[in-house]
Amino acid sequence: MAKKQKKDLIRLAVQIFFLALIILISVNHFRSEQGLAPLLIGSPSLHAVCPFGGVVTIYTYFTEGTFIQKIHQSSITLMWLILGLTLLFGPVFCGWICPFGTVEEFVGKIGRKIFKKRYNNFIPFKLDKLLKYLRYVILLLVVINTAISGKLLFSNFDPYFALFNIWSSEVTRLSLLVLGLVLVGSLFVERPWCKYLCPLGALLGIFNLFRIVKLKRNEKSCINCKACDRVCPMNIDICTSKVISDHQCISCLLCTDEIACPVNNSLNFSVLERKNLKENSEEDSGRKINKNISGGGK
Amino acid sequence: MKIKSIHILLAIIIIIGGGILLASELDLYNTTRVKSPRKTVEGLYDVTDMRGSHTLEEIEKYYQLPASSVIEAFGLRPDTNPNFFQLKDMKEIFKPVELEEEEYIVETDTVKVFTSLYLKISYVSDETFYLPEKTVNYLIESGKLIGEEKDYWQGHTFKLEYLDSKYLTASEFSKIVVKEAEGFKVTGKTTVQELLGSGITEEKFEEVTGFKVPEDKSILVRDFVIDKGIEFGEIKDKFIE
Repeated sequence: MAKKQKKDLIRLAVQIFFLALIILISVNHFRSEQGLAPLLIGSPSLHAVCPFGGVVTIYTYFTEGTFIQKIHQSSITLMWLILGLTLLFGPVFCGWICPFGTVEEFVGKIGRKIFKKRYNNFIPFKLDKLLKYLRYVILLLVVINTAISGKLLFSNFDPYFALFNIWSSEVTRLSLLVLGLVLVGSLFVERPWCKYLCPLGALLGIFNLFRIVKLKRNEKSCINCKACDRVCPMNIDICTSKVISDHQCISCLLCTDEIACPVNNSLNFSVLERKNLKENSEEDSGRKINKNISGGGK
Repeated sequence: MKIKSIHILLAIIIIIGGGILLASELDLYNTTRVKSPRKTVEGLYDVTDMRGSHTLEEIEKYYQLPASSVIEAFGLRPDTNPNFFQLKDMKEIFKPVELEEEEYIVETDTVKVFTSLYLKISYVSDETFYLPEKTVNYLIESGKLIGEEKDYWQGHTFKLEYLDSKYLTASEFSKIVVKEAEGFKVTGKTTVQELLGSGITEEKFEEVTGFKVPEDKSILVRDFVIDKGIEFGEIKDKFIE
């Protein structure tokens, strides 16, 4: 078990790094506006380091060769880099990098302590499944409206911008309200913004259908303990699929045999078809089941 | 091949970290915009690209719209310093108004419409259908509004109120107004152009920074010195010593 906790620390370290980086950028931007020198790194605006800025300006970029207000070249570059990473590994950005997702996850840890097994299970399955498509509607609305208006309308209700720019007069009351609702919601549901509302998550989620490195379950070695389902922050039904290509997957790796799955080579990210693995897994499974049958957990 | 957390970590470092480094080398990772607005096909600066971060002085430079006319037309303090006053600062001075059941904030778009009317440049706004009464009267008195245009705007005015009733009379008004007596200050938003415009010579610039004045004078002094590995906080006051 100690070995597993250590491995999960890699993702935690990456999350903390990016969260600290965004906080530093935000502080530096504030200092810059006060005429003070930035600390350690530069002082770009939050818009400049958000890949979603690249998505919303894409129409203006290709039709007029310009960016919409407040968006810079860096947003476009980051967008292509994130899309490349997502094509390979799925929405790693959501599960590992996005500081807002990290904050939701940290708040969710409090909710998990309060509600225990009921946490992340408050919304009925059918409603949850339906609500998960809402983010595609938001993605379409945001991209189309931004293309028509040429303005960064999304920042008016963007809780990420509100949280990390809370000192700024640019933050609207609506975005503060959305931020409050999301943070409170995170006490009941894991990553509510990512799951139901995030337009960037919606775009990246589509890549789950054809990403190169896939999440695969070995049906032969799987003992159907549902440890993977229990730890999945996005409520994906993992234990009934052979290849998990659900549009909600955030590539957090929590469900894999590296962390939650108690059977070696039963559930993991892999890039090539396995042949020998299946055979090996049958031998390994007997040894590991007894140790970890209680399943994973965060 | 089985992919583990460590592989994802390496992928993030290589793709995101390496990608940003490569893009920076190829000049594809600019996190700031050049301050000059884009030009129209006629070669004039495009009113649509007027930004909240533009100062009144920049508006005068790019659009040939006198800063004094904006100050007078909007009822700003006469001692407003065009070097420092940005268009977005207006929302910290004027109260939002309720127009046709929607909140309207006097800010950049209001100045865009004023500029288009004052300079007779075409600009179609999708949010400004009313102007402050004071501004419309200024345009009429300056002979910029005539005929149907005059009739339209005379029927689409609102009363402009200050957020702080002491705005016009207070001896100081925070950072919005910087008195000339305080002299020129180099801040994080000062461009090389502004620095030279304030009377700092190219020799002084070279003496302080150790580098020649860049060709692109629209970049921020702060960005320029940081790019050269110099701490901005250490040198910003040396320009005026």
